[in-house]
Amino acid sequence: MDERMGESLSALMDDEANELELERVLAQVSQDPELRRAWIRYNVAQQAVQGSQIARLDWDISERVKSSLEVSSATAREPTGIGFKQRMLRPFVSLAVAASVAATVVIGGQQLALIGSDDPYNYGRSVATNASPVGMLNSLGATTVQASYGMQAVPILEPATSKAYQELALQRHRKYMQEHAEQAALNAPQGLIPFARVPQIQE
Amino acid sequence: MTSLFSVSKKLFRYLLLAVFSVSTSAGANAASCPDDDAVALSWLDKMSRSLRQANYHGVVTLQRDGDMQVMQVSHIVGDGSSSERLVELTGRGAQVERLSHPLDCIHPGDRLLRGEVLLPEKSCGIATHYRFAVTPGERVAGREVVRIVIEPRDIYRFGYVVDLDEETGIMLKAQTIGHGHKTLETMQFANIVYSDNLPEFSQADVIHTAQHLDPQSASAQYPVTRAWSIGWLPLGFAATDPSTGTSERRTYTDGFAVFSVFLEELNVEVRAGEGLVKRGGTTSYTRGMRIDDQPVLVTVIGEVPVNTARMVADSLDWLP
Repeated sequence: MDERMGESLSALMDDEANELELERVLAQVSQDPELRRAWIRYNVAQQAVQGSQIARLDWDISERVKSSLEVSSATAREPTGIGFKQRMLRPFVSLAVAASVAATVVIGGQQLALIGSDDPYNYGRSVATNASPVGMLNSLGATTVQASYGMQAVPILEPATSKAYQELALQRHRKYMQEHAEQAALNAPQGLIPFARVPQIQE
Repeated sequence: MTSLFSVSKKLFRYLLLAVFSVSTSAGANAASCPDDDAVALSWLDKMSRSLRQANYHGVVTLQRDGDMQVMQVSHIVGDGSSSERLVELTGRGAQVERLSHPLDCIHPGDRLLRGEVLLPEKSCGIATHYRFAVTPGERVAGREVVRIVIEPRDIYRFGYVVDLDEETGIMLKAQTIGHGHKTLETMQFANIVYSDNLPEFSQADVIHTAQHLDPQSASAQYPVTRAWSIGWLPLGFAATDPSTGTSERRTYTDGFAVFSVFLEELNVEVRAGEGLVKRGGTTSYTRGMRIDDQPVLVTVIGEVPVNTARMVADSLDWLP
């Protein structure tokens, strides 16, 4: 684990990781089991120093995540001989591919702009407001991809995964926030106010 | 200056690890019953009960990410139940209401605030996980307040500064404090009137009736086909309802923070990855991964740091 990776991990622990740092961790995780172990050690160490109880840490997900990455990235690199209809039925792979295009198109401007931003509380919002050239998420979680993008073989870039997952996280935030607020309103000391955090309250 | 800070931060991390390597067992045994603040705990108990006892209406603001939302709220008690209403005065103007909530229906969050120990782990209740300090506060919405500073004892939850009405115990202001003492979100009453005569509320196009989920029953909108479990939770978090087995959601609270975990089974392969959305004190973390041979999408949403969400997502597993 190099110094920059250590800093990214550190930022994650401090809840201060920006998108680039998350990307860095993601890009390294498949090649660096030490990274996962270090992350778990950081958690335990910080708790120990703060004098709090040690949470149960008898699991180690590094191998599972590593094998998961190997299998899924191999699948993602398969030649695309499937039809458009089938592609439509494979939302998440399509999403990653579509976002690869998006990342390729915008990498000159948007990605560079993010390099200058170290505010961890802003980057989620910038994802939400940046126009995607393949803006295609609907409210149900299915993804439609324009044929001209979907049929092309595109390079697999790490930023593509990151970008696709940012979109996905935003979509799931919208989908699940109200159900979470139902629970928070019954279990946090603020009455119905957790509903104010729901992006769009539905009947 | 920045690089100096970064170097010192890194050094600190490595020192942490060095300390850890010789002190793990000491740390594990260190915490017994911490020095709880009886005055603070009694105020929290009062706060929890007040929310079910007082008649009031007022205007509340929620500030986060440089944005301010304004809403009108009311709370009326009568005939053994309470009724609440919230109407957004900014944004879409939606209304949320919860009518006839039985006063004797106490949810796990309130039980924790009232000092109950819900978990089998060795615990002194919420004082195990937060450090409390009571200080005089400044007026909020024209009312005298008592300020309680609530500092987390570990890295898995945020801190809070809450101002309670000195007379009624109603929470008039709450700031969510993240790492580095950053204020992530501030909720506060701009005005409050204690009365059961409600003013006319703004008309809303969207009216949502808040679910009253019985703590003893579970719901499942989109059940998954296999029973699953969460292998790791921050200490002190109790389930808000008995959602187990194949329910797609689990929710946990420690009395202040609440987070929910949603699991989706995917019928397609997914490239492993993660995405994050932050809105004020709310973290929404989505992770695509495989559990055994099954691709899944896990989303953790709640008022917890991203590291907590990530740790929880990592620990999901199928039940045998």
